[in-house]
Amino acid sequence: MLFGRRRKNPIRIATKAVAEWKYATCGYCSVGCSIEVGVDAGGKPVTTRGVGGADVNRGKLCIKGLTQAQIFAAPGRGSEPKVRDRISEEWQRTDWNSALDRVADGFKRIQARYGRDAVAVISTGQIMTEEFYTLGKLVRGVIGTNNYDGNTTLCMASAVSGYKRSFGADGPPGCYGDFDHTECLLAFGSNLPEQHPIIYWRLKEALEKRKFPVIVVDPRVTMFAQMADIHLPVTPGTDLVLLNSLCHVILEDGLHDEAAVRARTNGYDEFAATVAEYDPGSAAKICGIDEDTIRTVAHLYGKADAAMAIWTMGINQSTHGSDGVCAINNLNLITGNIGKPGGTSLSITGQCNAMGTREWSSCSGLPGYRQLENPAHREEVGKFWGVDPAFFPKQRGLFQTDIFPAIETGQIKALWVIATNPLTSMPNTPRIRKTMQNLEFCVVQDAYEDVETAQYAHVYLPASVWAEKEGCFTNTERRVNLTRAATAPFGNSKPDHWIFSALAKRWPSAAKMPWPATSEATFEEMKQLSKGRGRNLDISGMTYEAIEAARGLQWPMREGDAEGAKRLYADGVFAFPDGKAKLLALPYRENNERPDDEFPFWLNSGRVVEHFHTRTKTGKVGDCNKHSPIPYMEMNPDAADALGVVHMGYARLVSRRGDAVVMVQRTGRVPNNMVFVPFHFHECVNRLTLGLLDPHSRQPAFKQCAVRVEPANQPEAEQRGAAMRAF
Amino acid sequence: MIPLRADEPDYAKLADADAQAVNRYGNPIQLLPDGDNGVSLNINGDAGIGDNANRTRQHAFHFTADNCIGCHACEAACSEKNDLPPHLSFRSVGYVEGGTYPDYARINISMACNHCDDPVCLKGCPTRAYTKHPEYGAVIQDPDICFGCGYCTWVCPYNAPQLDPVAGQVEKCNMCVDRLEVGLKPACVSACVGNALDFGVVENVPARREQVDAHIPGFPDPNITKANIRFQQRSPTAHEFTRPDSAQVKYRRDGERGFHPVVDAKDGGQSGNGNPAKAQWNWARLSSRENPLLAFTLAVQTAIGAFATTFLAGHGSGLVALAALVLIGLGMAASTAHLGKPLRFYRGFNNLRHSNLSREALATVLFGGATTLYLGADVMGWPHLALGFGIAAIAAGAATIYTMVRCYLIPARPFWNHWHTAASFVGTSLALGAWVALALTPGWPPMLACAIVGGLALELAGLLGHARTMRTAQHEGAVSHFVQTTTVGNVYRLRNVLLIGCLMLVAVLAISGVAHPLPWLLAGLAGFAAAVLGRALFYVVVVPTTMPGAFFWKNKGFEQHARDLGLAANPAVGVPLKDH
Repeated sequence: MLFGRRRKNPIRIATKAVAEWKYATCGYCSVGCSIEVGVDAGGKPVTTRGVGGADVNRGKLCIKGLTQAQIFAAPGRGSEPKVRDRISEEWQRTDWNSALDRVADGFKRIQARYGRDAVAVISTGQIMTEEFYTLGKLVRGVIGTNNYDGNTTLCMASAVSGYKRSFGADGPPGCYGDFDHTECLLAFGSNLPEQHPIIYWRLKEALEKRKFPVIVVDPRVTMFAQMADIHLPVTPGTDLVLLNSLCHVILEDGLHDEAAVRARTNGYDEFAATVAEYDPGSAAKICGIDEDTIRTVAHLYGKADAAMAIWTMGINQSTHGSDGVCAINNLNLITGNIGKPGGTSLSITGQCNAMGTREWSSCSGLPGYRQLENPAHREEVGKFWGVDPAFFPKQRGLFQTDIFPAIETGQIKALWVIATNPLTSMPNTPRIRKTMQNLEFCVVQDAYEDVETAQYAHVYLPASVWAEKEGCFTNTERRVNLTRAATAPFGNSKPDHWIFSALAKRWPSAAKMPWPATSEATFEEMKQLSKGRGRNLDISGMTYEAIEAARGLQWPMREGDAEGAKRLYADGVFAFPDGKAKLLALPYRENNERPDDEFPFWLNSGRVVEHFHTRTKTGKVGDCNKHSPIPYMEMNPDAADALGVVHMGYARLVSRRGDAVVMVQRTGRVPNNMVFVPFHFHECVNRLTLGLLDPHSRQPAFKQCAVRVEPANQPEAEQRGAAMRAF
Repeated sequence: MIPLRADEPDYAKLADADAQAVNRYGNPIQLLPDGDNGVSLNINGDAGIGDNANRTRQHAFHFTADNCIGCHACEAACSEKNDLPPHLSFRSVGYVEGGTYPDYARINISMACNHCDDPVCLKGCPTRAYTKHPEYGAVIQDPDICFGCGYCTWVCPYNAPQLDPVAGQVEKCNMCVDRLEVGLKPACVSACVGNALDFGVVENVPARREQVDAHIPGFPDPNITKANIRFQQRSPTAHEFTRPDSAQVKYRRDGERGFHPVVDAKDGGQSGNGNPAKAQWNWARLSSRENPLLAFTLAVQTAIGAFATTFLAGHGSGLVALAALVLIGLGMAASTAHLGKPLRFYRGFNNLRHSNLSREALATVLFGGATTLYLGADVMGWPHLALGFGIAAIAAGAATIYTMVRCYLIPARPFWNHWHTAASFVGTSLALGAWVALALTPGWPPMLACAIVGGLALELAGLLGHARTMRTAQHEGAVSHFVQTTTVGNVYRLRNVLLIGCLMLVAVLAISGVAHPLPWLLAGLAGFAAAVLGRALFYVVVVPTTMPGAFFWKNKGFEQHARDLGLAANPAVGVPLKDH
């Protein structure tokens, strides 16, 4: 045995010199992992770790969570407010007072000249719930524009819409614990290992303890598809057909739960008449899954005592996203799989606080899932805030995806963008760039001053990020979890909560309204507004201390409850006035762009595990970014050979909207007629996308459009690619 | 001892109830006699000893390839714990993929150090920076001792030691022995999200696993080093697996479970359409970070050859000895310049017991010393002493060539691991040395011409034998040969033409007794050019038995591209600006 040891130096192993661990909830995706930020003696965050005793992640973190301490002092962070008169001018640094005066004056000027709704506000899923609530109060109760929406329209709007249409209210009814009870899991357009690694781990743990069938519907052979027992490589955008056909087989073969259908649903006859048209033979021709397989899966799902369906953007980001969600709900309603352990429709959400914005931001209505359309709700909130209920509009205004066309056509003249980056994240960005030039006044509030949207801003407000401030996020399973301020705000940046409250003071009408100084006091205010008979979104039983002690609490948790509720609708009572859910007839209509002779490839887009959204964070964290530092596409080797496109060379993608240059990765993961491009990179995939809107949710169909692939002139493509990579 | 947290999850805790006596290689798993709990690992100066009952047993990673989702959590946890810059990583996830859509499968492979029974890194390291500790069987490298020669990165078949071109030193996985001491599994294992990585006493079957195998596609022969890594891989495999990185290797199934490397032309348009890849020049490819070693090996071999041929032919002279000394000096300077930390050059002799590199360095110095003494004796006119020193120099020179050859006979570099390396080194020594000798020795002694012819012939024979073996080899040597005959194929041909032409010319000149210097000079230049080109090819076309990389990370082709294009200027791209 070889040891080579005589006298040796001590073994040196790096230590991070953590003086204190601060409790937080991960600021990336909606899994809602409990995370501790290690700060050194100087108060600087040096590392992170998963909280061992937290039910969600049980000590685990993904690559982004593990490296998250590096986002605080990252390049591109904004440290001072900046202003300019024209977007062609250089930025001038200024102080907060002047900057906020300028914002308020700008909005007032535009509103005075063009009307109240000429100012639009586009918010996010990234900031704390208390901040959303404060922003909603400012926009609905003070500024008074109805054109206020969150970027959740780009990711979760179809889930929201589908839940409302089927169950009468938003809110995912299930939880991660359902993996421990289910007997069959059906995943639509969800790539858990890449997008929600910790949920994948929870599923894997459940599977290793008790095997049950996993079926993955995805046009790509993702790792999840590869790990599944059955992979259904569906034709893009045709999930609704597959779902209708699954219901068809279940009804035809009598596998549905008649008692549950009768007791808990309305609309069966019309629904049954519609799915009757989707026999597997006909459906196979549209959705690309053969008849036998459709029957096999329908039987598997229909016969399971408890079966659950999860989905992500593969459903939401299509022209029938909302219908797709309703179709999943239909499937679970007819099989009696809502509200019971292991039986659920669980939308896997995107952003860390997409749920918080849905619940409390007033984007689509008023706080706490209240609606502008409901006079009682307007009355209640007006009274609570000290705002004349008549000041509220009587129905919701434009969605984010309709705000840009309204800027294009001149109805909206001022835009306030908060912690989101539409210049990269909206479909058809060439059109968005052109549109942004129409704005008379634009404010960008973001933790990163190099966010592309700031190129069109007149005021830039540097916001604090994640654990530089305090507040709650709600995760995919309705779990409210807390982030404590682990470190001081970067430079002269300010928490969004402070910015909203300070800005509100620029309007006299705000003087008689409550503007709590801390997030915790705001949370206490929200608790009051969450109470009420029959309200599921009730957080009145929670406190900051209790949330931290429990590592997150699920709503509803009413005053006096010892713990939150794992599932919604466990009593079989849904949120419609009659307590019944709706079975919806959902005929499939083909209206999206499809590959043709001129543009022969499907363009599919999606996430990679190492990046988050538009890379303003992960693009600067080397241990994330190095795994995909430049844009690329996955292309089938046979298709690449036919076009003379080589591995690791560059190719140009062209659609009816614009073009993009990407590096080519040849892989059998995608079919012959499809390319896949990660959506994270600026000046890339969304230069190509059409993003036709879902009629119900107004969410764009990012994942289905047509492109052609051209072999690029390599040196030129290299230079163009490099020039577009500021980070 | 690092602090333990109250809510540490069970999956992060070591859980070996029992252990086997010997591993699959027949080596004992218990590394110290019963009752000997080892010594303190002295981690960061802490004299404590962990209370782990298996402390002196060989531990190993267990990797369930079926489960790895390529999520990079292990890599991130490792880099975070070890505070590594983005361009460095002790653990990396690469992958291979096979099949045709939708019958497609990707096998991700997460690999760090395998803490081998037979750590070739430890044996190869000239500075003795490596220790195989009987505690856990951990192979730990000390960057404070390392002088950055990178030889361990050559001999390791698994890419475990990481040469940091910025810091000029090697670092590697330390098995998280600080965590093991308090009963925790390594950071990467605890972070694994796919339930793919596990860790424990080697040969033990981890919880919920059934297989403890030593092979998966893309993983080199574990017998080279008796690697302590175990696998489970049960999912059906494709007939062939390709790599996403630029290495022109793919893996083909032979038999039930085995895979062997074969050439993957990877030229898309060219090879995909069935056209044979064309030979090219690619002169720029010939220059590499090993240029100083090219200079070192050629200079030292020439020096030894020059001295030996003149001395043995009875024409020994102070002038030739002086020329040899100059060449030795240049060679040593070049090899020192090759180090990441040149000022630590003196540590090169630290591992004479195991390292051929240390022995080579010593033999070279001895040759230089004996030659110096020979020169002194010659100048002073002491022929008997000169004879003695000359014989000593010949012996030291032979030892130099021998150890130099041994340095390159590396199982992890199959292209070099062939008798052609010996033929080339001896042949070059004879041919180039005799030329120098010829130029400095009056009267064109025929013995020297014979040495040139013999050296060239030996080199040529080696090349022929090498090409025949490599063409049909079932290892990465075949890939090297493919690169040699395509990417730089024209250079390869030019070198062969020069070599053959030179051999024929010298033979004709010698037989016909031509004494005019011009044709000899021409032949000499051709021989020199052939030697330089040949040695450059030797270094640049070698394909090690590396682990597969990913599309960007650990992809040599992308790293070069990022440097060429300037992307590497951004540290977050994870590619160091300089290659050395």
